[in-house]
Amino acid sequence: MAGLELLSDQGYRVDGRRAGELRKIQARMGVFAQADGSAYIEQGNTKALAVVYGPHEIRGSRARALPDRALVNCQYSSATFSTGERKRRPHGDRKSCEMGLQLRQTFEAAILTQLHPRSQIDIYVQVLQADGGTYAACVNAATLAVLDAGIPMRDFVCACSAGFVDGTALADLSHVEEAAGGPQLALALLPASGQIALLEMDARLHEDHLERVLEAAAQAARDVHTLLDRVVRQHRAELRGGHRLVLGAGFPAADPAHLHVGERHGLHHGGGAVCGRRPCPGFCPGLRRPPQEVGGSASGLA
Amino acid sequence: MLQKREKVLLLRTFQGRTLRIVREHYLRPCVPCHSPLCPQPAACSHDGKLLSSDVTHYVIPDWKVVQDYLEILEFPELKGIIFMQTACQAVQHQRGRRQYNKLRNLLKDARHDCILFANEFQQCCYLPRERGESMEKWQTRSIYNAAVWYYHHCQDRMPIVMVTEDEEAIQQYGSETEGVFVITFKNYLDNFWPDLKAAHELCDSILQSRRERENESQESHGKEYPEHLPLEVLEAGIKSGRYIQGILNVNKHRAQIEAFVRLQGASSKDSDLVSDILIHGMKARNRSIHGDVVVVELLPKNEWKGRTVALCENDCDDKASGESPSEPMPTGRVVGILQKNWRDYVVTFPSKEEVQSQGKNAQKILVTPWDYRIPKIRISTQQAETLQDFRVVVRIDSWESTSVYPNGHFMCEMPVNTPESPWKVSPEEEQKRKDLRKSHLVFSIDPKGCEDVDDTLSVRTLNNGNLELGVHIADVTHFVAPNSYIDIEARTRATTYYLADRRYDMLPSVLSADLCSLLGGVDRYAVSIMWELDKASYEIKKVWYGRTIIRSAYKLFYEAAQELLDGNLSVVDDIPEFKDLDEKSRQAKLEELVWAIGKLTDIARHVRAKRDGCGALELEGVEVCVQLDDKKNIHDLIPKQPLEVHETVAECMILANHWVAKKIWESFPHQALLRQHPPPHQEFFSELRECAKAKGFFIDTRSNKTLADSLDNANDPHDPIVNRLLRSMATQAMSNALYFSTGSCAEEEFHHYGLALDKYTHFTSPIRRYSDIVVHRLLMAAISKDKKMEIKGNLFSNKDLEELCRHINNRNQAAQHSQKQSTELFQCMYFKDKDPATEERCISDGVIYSIRTNGVLLFIPRFGIKGAAYLKNKDGLVISCGPDSCSEWKPGSLQRFQNKITSTTTDGESVTFHLFDHVTVRISIQASRCHSDTIRLEIISNKPYKIPNTELIHQSSPLLKSELVKEVTKSVEEAQLAQEVKVNIIQEEYQEYRQTKGRSLYTLLEEIRDLALLDVSNNYGI
Repeated sequence: MAGLELLSDQGYRVDGRRAGELRKIQARMGVFAQADGSAYIEQGNTKALAVVYGPHEIRGSRARALPDRALVNCQYSSATFSTGERKRRPHGDRKSCEMGLQLRQTFEAAILTQLHPRSQIDIYVQVLQADGGTYAACVNAATLAVLDAGIPMRDFVCACSAGFVDGTALADLSHVEEAAGGPQLALALLPASGQIALLEMDARLHEDHLERVLEAAAQAARDVHTLLDRVVRQHRAELRGGHRLVLGAGFPAADPAHLHVGERHGLHHGGGAVCGRRPCPGFCPGLRRPPQEVGGSASGLA
Repeated sequence: MLQKREKVLLLRTFQGRTLRIVREHYLRPCVPCHSPLCPQPAACSHDGKLLSSDVTHYVIPDWKVVQDYLEILEFPELKGIIFMQTACQAVQHQRGRRQYNKLRNLLKDARHDCILFANEFQQCCYLPRERGESMEKWQTRSIYNAAVWYYHHCQDRMPIVMVTEDEEAIQQYGSETEGVFVITFKNYLDNFWPDLKAAHELCDSILQSRRERENESQESHGKEYPEHLPLEVLEAGIKSGRYIQGILNVNKHRAQIEAFVRLQGASSKDSDLVSDILIHGMKARNRSIHGDVVVVELLPKNEWKGRTVALCENDCDDKASGESPSEPMPTGRVVGILQKNWRDYVVTFPSKEEVQSQGKNAQKILVTPWDYRIPKIRISTQQAETLQDFRVVVRIDSWESTSVYPNGHFMCEMPVNTPESPWKVSPEEEQKRKDLRKSHLVFSIDPKGCEDVDDTLSVRTLNNGNLELGVHIADVTHFVAPNSYIDIEARTRATTYYLADRRYDMLPSVLSADLCSLLGGVDRYAVSIMWELDKASYEIKKVWYGRTIIRSAYKLFYEAAQELLDGNLSVVDDIPEFKDLDEKSRQAKLEELVWAIGKLTDIARHVRAKRDGCGALELEGVEVCVQLDDKKNIHDLIPKQPLEVHETVAECMILANHWVAKKIWESFPHQALLRQHPPPHQEFFSELRECAKAKGFFIDTRSNKTLADSLDNANDPHDPIVNRLLRSMATQAMSNALYFSTGSCAEEEFHHYGLALDKYTHFTSPIRRYSDIVVHRLLMAAISKDKKMEIKGNLFSNKDLEELCRHINNRNQAAQHSQKQSTELFQCMYFKDKDPATEERCISDGVIYSIRTNGVLLFIPRFGIKGAAYLKNKDGLVISCGPDSCSEWKPGSLQRFQNKITSTTTDGESVTFHLFDHVTVRISIQASRCHSDTIRLEIISNKPYKIPNTELIHQSSPLLKSELVKEVTKSVEEAQLAQEVKVNIIQEEYQEYRQTKGRSLYTLLEEIRDLALLDVSNNYGI
């Protein structure tokens, strides 16, 4: 891909976005009934599925139990068909382990683990298609899944990547842009407080530019938050309204934020109330922030 | 709001797999249009330059136009240009970064009234590529679609011209939308910018070059030749009979078109092909070069072609000959090359004008090989200009299937001597060398038709009355630098091979037959040895060695020189040098020459006598001269007639060799190349002694002196043949003379038995022998050593020299062997055609020189043939001679005695053959399927054969005394290489011979090598 012009003189990126624009985000929550919480997200062509179990008792060795907080267990995997070249990706390879650790770190910072001492929360993330920004997609999917599971969090964790090309910071890198080998920054942000849950940087970048790239990533993460917020609200609204949509109809392309809610969700919700083992969410996104008009935002992608 | 689309790309990975890649593609409603006519400037959010508002139209170039005519679009006069993103991307992908950057700079430049419209990101302009639609079509469609949108976007207020090179697009879109015109670029320039001359000119030149490119690519489609098949496929194909293996022979006279594949071995047997396979054209020849072992696929019969019969020039290309060819013969095409026969080729650089016409890319130059059969070779060189007038040696590196010509590289240059650029004596050399052109009468004596004259002679009287004898040898080392390519090649060849009718040169012919050859009337470099001799006793007083410049005045041949020596001046008419002279100067010059030859002979006799005193041997080898008529058929076989001048010249050469040997040995006692001749083993002489006893002679073989004396005495006054035979037997008993390095032998072993000299080397034939080149270098080094000058270049160390000597000795043996075989072959061929029963010539006189249990060995002086005749045939019948002395086969028995054999029939008749008896023999040819044919002798009478020309033989007998001293040639061990080569030639010749009775035997050999008639006796220089 050498010689590919990542940012044209007119300010367009390879796929037609401008520097600060995100790829199209589509998401839905509660895709699996058997799990406590699940979510599916598409960021451009990067597609990830997250499933959350817990909080539940420690499985396996009890020695791992933490006396003061819940254990967050994250597992990452990617499908063999996730990249252009089909490749076997065994569990427990370096990349998956690293990603699992990063996710764990991220969510330990966001979930109110002290509410569930001596218990365990499992987060499983699988990448179905990798087209750049897998970490970000995983974090965002997991956030929705955790929310779906009703586990109390300090805030959404919104993640986004950013790169730096020709003196311009690019938000939400696609695979082509990542493969070009420039600096790449991954940021997981708690948008309300502006706290950073995780920051990772590949390749070298001059200190002077870091601020701008970080700002671009933060802005992108805030935009992601806006979108995820809408997804959650819509999900809640649908649950309340008892909407039942048939799965498998595909996404209406025109409305990225459109939600498909499985029929199980009603049950799920009810089940949540019935089983009662789950503590009441300490956080309700709707109460903290008024709904925001996402589409009007200059940099947001709707 | 962005819209997401997906683009599917198929990319090829480095491993060659295709990779399906899905890329997102986002479309937006508002893309800056950069037009002042924009109805919603806020939405379009223009930043940067706008198109000027005073244009009459906007012009949108198609992708092809942007690629090809960017230079014209750069003209500042052209305004209102909208480059579509699609077109820009096409430039980027297909024309590379440089062109794209030019375009980018153009767009950035505020002075140019042009903008880029990102049509592919505009949601109304973007058109996805349809399934099966070609990239080009899609690009044109996208651009047109964007143009239409743009027109409407500007509220139809500004007409838009889309320029394209795609005729189809013009037809399709030309009248589709009002206000959007689609025309060709040329048309556009003509209509809108008729005054812009520069643009028009540029446009024409671009069009022109593009057309040329297209023509080229149409002809070749990128690949000039089909790929060769892999080796396994070829081997399998040959086995299965699908392909045929053979050697490619390019027709010398139609090198471009015709080549033939001579079938090899087994393959011809299956595919009942009798003739060769024609390979018609360069394309079918598929990069194979003359001599390659190729694999051929036969074409279907309807594509077979005939051999061209019409005469044609070699230069003409494929299309030229339209004449009807002869009847079709098997035609094929080359599918693979098993063995490449690429070697180094002598090539000529094109002239200056040609270089220029070959285009700007002057680093690559097409050079033309000297050999017609080799295609032009493309070489890269910076020195094309300087090498203009040289011939150079190039080596072929590769021949890609995409290239019309093979690639090669320049190896070394060769001097040129052509009428256009004659070789001249360089002034620096003139300074360094002694100039003998004015002061000395230099002449050469060689066999008739000799081209490689490497020795000349001179003799004159000095002021003090003494004589000065000069031997001038071609200065080959001046042209052949040590370790140059020529030198290395010459070293491997080691010697020039003389066959009965041709020779295989050691040096390239420009050197051997031209620049080094001391031809008459031209200036040449030489290495000379000059002795000052006492006027009366011919004692050597002084000797001088050095480099000289000479101009040989006469190139005489032996017979003429002999006539002059004998005082028969009528031969003058045969000497070309005398032809244009008027009577008076002719007379004067002739006298001078005759004096010189006479004096030389005198000197030679003296030197010879001195050597004879030490025991020099006169030996006898049978030499046959093959005479060919115009059609290259064997006309006659004639044994060499030895003349006194032969001896004179040989004696001078021996003298020179001897003195040079002394010189280099003194200077380099451990690393001089000399020639030794070890004394023979006594037991080998037993046969000679036995034979001589039969005639009542005693041969004393204890030393070379006694041997020489007793051989001289063993002369039967009634039969000169006896002496010849005895000498020849003595020769047989000798061991071979060898080159050696003085460092590896004791000094007493240096002795030369045959010549009776303590030191001897080879110096006088550097054109023909590599050893002489080495000796020349040694001599030059010795001279500079004497002058206390630095020795240029490294001499061989003792070890290296020893190694080299071994190699040269091997090659010499091989050369002698092949020479002998070639003579035998020609003897066979001479009798082949003749019917032994009727032909007069097949019956000849023979002399018995050895007795065996069931037959005798015969020597036939008339033809120089030695062979066996059986006295008992396969049925057990023995020969008997009736009263009319005619022989017939009858039952009986043979009885062998010491020097006679008696055949007794059951009837009691008996006939006895003694040694040296003359009998009449019939010569016939015994054909052999597996081996070369042999000559068969049959005794048809026990009386000498009376023929008119026996007298001729007797007449020449008094000259026997002065017969040429011959190098000892014992039958040698079979030298592998020469043997193989030879056998091949013989087989091929016979094949050809049997196939085409009546046609010349030589057509085939001619293809292998230019026929060079040369006398074999030339190597008198021992």
